[in-house]
Amino acid sequence: MSAPARPNRVTLRKTLISCALLATGLLLAVVFTSLVGSERLPVRASLCALASFGNTSCGLTSDQFDILFQIRLPRIILAAAVGGSLATAGAAYQALLRNPLAEPYLLGISNGAAVGTMIALVFFGANEWTRPLLAFTGALLATFAVYRLARGRAGSTPERLILAGVIVTTFLSSVIVFVTTLMDATRIRSFTFWLLGDLSGTNKALLPVTITIAIAGALTLTLNARSLNLLMLGERDAFDLGVEVSRVRVVVFLVASLLVGSSVAASGSVGYVGLVVPHLARLSLGSDNRISIPAAALGGAVFVIVADTLARTVIAPRELPVGAITALIGAPLFIYLLKRA
Amino acid sequence: MLSRTSLKLLLACAFFLTITPACRTIQKPRTDGPVARTLTDDAGRTVSVPFKVDRVISLAPNLTEIVFAVGGGGQLVGRTSYCDFPPEAKSVTEVGDTAHPSLEKLIALKPQVVLISTASQLEVFTQQLQNQNIAVFITDPHDLEGVFRSIEQVGEILGKKEQATTLVQSLRKRTNAVEEAVKQKQPVRVFYQLSPEPLYTAGHDSFVTDLMRRAGAISVTADVPGAWPKYSSESALAAKPDAIILPTGGSMGSGNSTVAEALRRSPAVLQGRVYKINDDHLVRPGPRLIDGLEEMARAFHPDAFK
Repeated sequence: MSAPARPNRVTLRKTLISCALLATGLLLAVVFTSLVGSERLPVRASLCALASFGNTSCGLTSDQFDILFQIRLPRIILAAAVGGSLATAGAAYQALLRNPLAEPYLLGISNGAAVGTMIALVFFGANEWTRPLLAFTGALLATFAVYRLARGRAGSTPERLILAGVIVTTFLSSVIVFVTTLMDATRIRSFTFWLLGDLSGTNKALLPVTITIAIAGALTLTLNARSLNLLMLGERDAFDLGVEVSRVRVVVFLVASLLVGSSVAASGSVGYVGLVVPHLARLSLGSDNRISIPAAALGGAVFVIVADTLARTVIAPRELPVGAITALIGAPLFIYLLKRA
Repeated sequence: MLSRTSLKLLLACAFFLTITPACRTIQKPRTDGPVARTLTDDAGRTVSVPFKVDRVISLAPNLTEIVFAVGGGGQLVGRTSYCDFPPEAKSVTEVGDTAHPSLEKLIALKPQVVLISTASQLEVFTQQLQNQNIAVFITDPHDLEGVFRSIEQVGEILGKKEQATTLVQSLRKRTNAVEEAVKQKQPVRVFYQLSPEPLYTAGHDSFVTDLMRRAGAISVTADVPGAWPKYSSESALAAKPDAIILPTGGSMGSGNSTVAEALRRSPAVLQGRVYKINDDHLVRPGPRLIDGLEEMARAFHPDAFK
């Protein structure tokens, strides 16, 4: 295998350059969106406080400082982690299932995670650690169900997969509806908002977990990107080319479910991120997963940060659920992408 | 071959289409009383109600409370699963919850009037009831006066006008006593937390906003559009309320018993001015709202009630 050496180096360089650009974009997005919100903060003092990583107040009052560092910034960082997780998971599902329409939300995997979170909320409400854990379990079970349902005798086709996703989604939606009718009034209100995808209840205890999973997941999937490239040729061909198909499949399913689970536990089902962002990444950077997966991770972070900033500012001081914004941006963009492809 | 099947289908459809209106006309003459009165409800609709109403269904807990409070409990033939007060209400037939009542059950109970609040308002459903010749009366109070009007309207519908007037008079008396007691007091800046996560509050159109004003307080979210808006955490922090009201512990459960994180360092928390009040006294625009008014006023201005 001496020939691919040069293309590999080219790929690596392209990956590094595009990731560096996107990471800069992400940093800028974090900084700029932390300057907007329902409360007006002095721009210069805020930038100064941000540059000092919150070590000096730069003349911000203690309330302004709290708004910036206790409310706004954690929420923006959570948005980044959730966006990155969902976009990475989407890119991975699309490669593994060889289906451009594979998306955690459309395949019912987000719903699986939502059912898991709901069970955690109803039965282990006080213990917040059970939420991502059961969300992960739910996502994994839903993934498995979709995968098995989609595999007919003739193998899995994209249409079969989407149909399987529809079945799993609707089934789990009815489970969700059933359990919500058993909840008390306050819970139903928060829960329906959460189901639409909502970042306002940023849970600081879980924030480090969500971030760690997002970063570790994106890295693991990027490291498996070469195998995923070969898998896109078909499982048999990939096997012949030396890919341990079953191992890669298990790793990708586990990691992608973990990503979906942790983001759903943190913010509910934010739709279309896993669909739109990987598509944009592939359209602009090519379909090599070694580039498109890390690019999707960073791009997804930016996408959800921007969407959530809109959600918390357009009707301020009232708020919208972020999932409504991502769907509003995502669905038309997706139709456009479909028509172009 | 295909055309024959579709022809059969067409015929079947035509048959059902012709008999359906026929069935309806057969049922129509079941109108009670000679002439009906016309009332205007809170949605601005003109509703025609029979003179003598002895079968009524309430689709909201506050309306059930009003029906019993004006002495019309005996005329109530259906209620929602949320209608748990007064205790006698529980022996009335349940027709589902506020948002999803069973239409079949409703019709089977043969009510003359169905009382609904906007919280439970379903347009399609209203239309279907009206097609069955059942009057649908909507209440939608945005302040205490609106609640008093609801009580009078329900009293009028049920032929309990006198009881309703007496009830409203006594409620007004209690309200005036509270307002009188807190009149000289500096109004407290208060945040009404409907749920902590996500953060919901009472906005401009909520009757609770009016209630807090009468209890000697100013809601920091009094100008936010809507009745129950989802509220920005940073705005809640910046508002620095001096007191926080947590409606909790009633039929809404204990989900709202802690202050939202953004308010943990607010003056209200630091000064220990977080007041838990039974949510049934605050979220149901019925007679018990005055209990909520008194409880809030006592919490805000304890020295005014010595």
